[in-house]
Amino acid sequence: MEPIKGRIWVFGDNIDTDQILPGYAMAEAAANLGRFAMAGSKMPDFSSQVKPGDIIVAGKNFGGGSSREQAPVALRAAGVSLVIAPSFARIFRRNSINIGLPVLLADIREHVKTGDWIEVDLAAGTIRTADKVLAGQPLAPTVLATVQAGGLINRVRQELGITD
Amino acid sequence: MNFIERYLAAAAGLQEVCVGQDIRCRVDLAMSHDVTAPIAIQQFEQIGIDRVFDPQKVVLVIDHIFPAATVQARTAHWIMKEFARKYGVTLYSKGEGVCHQLLSERHRLQPGQILVGADSHTCTAGGYGVIGIPVGSTELAAAMATGTIDLEVPPVVEVYLTGALQGYAAGKDIVLHLIRHFGVDGLTDKAVVFTGPGIACLPLEERMTICNMGIEMGAMIACFGSESKADQVAETVELPLEKIAPVAACPPSPANVKPVAELGDIAVSQVVIGSCTNGRLNDVAKAVAVLRRHPVHPDVNCLIIPASKIVLDEMETRGWCKILRDAGAVVTNPGCGPCFGAHQGLGAEQDVIVSTTNRNFPGRMGHRSAGIYLTSPATAAATAVRGKITEPGALLAEEGH
Repeated sequence: MEPIKGRIWVFGDNIDTDQILPGYAMAEAAANLGRFAMAGSKMPDFSSQVKPGDIIVAGKNFGGGSSREQAPVALRAAGVSLVIAPSFARIFRRNSINIGLPVLLADIREHVKTGDWIEVDLAAGTIRTADKVLAGQPLAPTVLATVQAGGLINRVRQELGITD
Repeated sequence: MNFIERYLAAAAGLQEVCVGQDIRCRVDLAMSHDVTAPIAIQQFEQIGIDRVFDPQKVVLVIDHIFPAATVQARTAHWIMKEFARKYGVTLYSKGEGVCHQLLSERHRLQPGQILVGADSHTCTAGGYGVIGIPVGSTELAAAMATGTIDLEVPPVVEVYLTGALQGYAAGKDIVLHLIRHFGVDGLTDKAVVFTGPGIACLPLEERMTICNMGIEMGAMIACFGSESKADQVAETVELPLEKIAPVAACPPSPANVKPVAELGDIAVSQVVIGSCTNGRLNDVAKAVAVLRRHPVHPDVNCLIIPASKIVLDEMETRGWCKILRDAGAVVTNPGCGPCFGAHQGLGAEQDVIVSTTNRNFPGRMGHRSAGIYLTSPATAAATAVRGKITEPGALLAEEGH
């Protein structure tokens, strides 16, 4: 898999799903969800500033709370290519992988700031900043396979032998 | 093996399993609601098969935004109605109640069943000994197609309950106490099980309340077991129930839990009693016990939201709806109410809300600055009367009880 290269946005601990996508935006069409990405956080104008390929670097327990898959969909629709955090809420982590949005376990906040550029190798779990290489947890083979397939639906199709 | 491992092994068709093992389990029930189902349906259609794994085992519930508050919400209902007709699956579409409550009332939940639900509070069924796995829409779509779910066997944390609840303490106070202990992510990717002689004092409804908020500690599974100690668990925490007092989760986190008696004077403008956490008959009974003798405070909106039509029917049979209305409360249709932040009682910047629901994240019920305190129904009802957060025993002591 090609390395992911992008500019980063740094957030704190416990960014829950209501901050990632507030309840009032849940019924919006998927195509519009990007406009509401992080609208409930302390950076409500995130969606107007984020650029395609940008990376979120956050603190512990990113994505806590709801099972709403619209939350990772909103991040992806806004252009986010990867989320890096020392821990993720279980359902958010699985949802992200299932829709093909990679998440990486690593705590790099003390080494970076918003606006920095980094390059990430998901299979190796390494994060390259301007002056150093940081270690994260490499994606497990099954998780990497789902990400590479473009999400769980493609993997289910493969397993059921559906090719059309 | 502990009982969670036994259940998972049986569902995976294996003799035994161990912590960390990746397994594929059969699904006994797959559930989705009006917020998660439209995406699940879209993803299911992407797979390209013409049937669900078993129409008898797929349940759709319209409960989060019913009656529709927006055109988009109503469109979601239509997507579900068309899917239910096309694939012959069960659909509750007339305001029958909250999905987790409906599963318990109408689907014969049994210990060891595997329930996959596209709602984070699917763990509620753990009150019945069911393995309730909360998932997102795409994973639910895959479960509807294949009748299976891939899991890793979790380490089990046992909460061993001894003694019995005293006074006005309830299941909600137990689980808030545990969330304070473990933190919002303390049990991420783990299972939490409840055992011990103390569970004898907890009726099924209270067990559901406790399991409901398992996800608020990050847990993968929350489940009641037998009275005896579980075998081979990663950790056991003993909890003497007689030490549990009424507590409140203060803004902005379900883990920010303090004894109600120590909160001081906090004026409240809205009280919400209901939801999949605390909208059952035993919960409404607490409100009725207080409001039949005291009116709702003039500065407070008091909303009562039955968890299901069956709960509402019984409230009417017992004359409770009139008692609540005469006291100044509003009884709404069964469903999720304002818990999810879409309708029926949202807060403005200056609102302070006491709610029996399960989350108090900023903005959860409207404006980001509206403070939300989570309590048991007894505390919420006493608060509705006094207009400030009130320990239920304090109100009743005033009456000379």
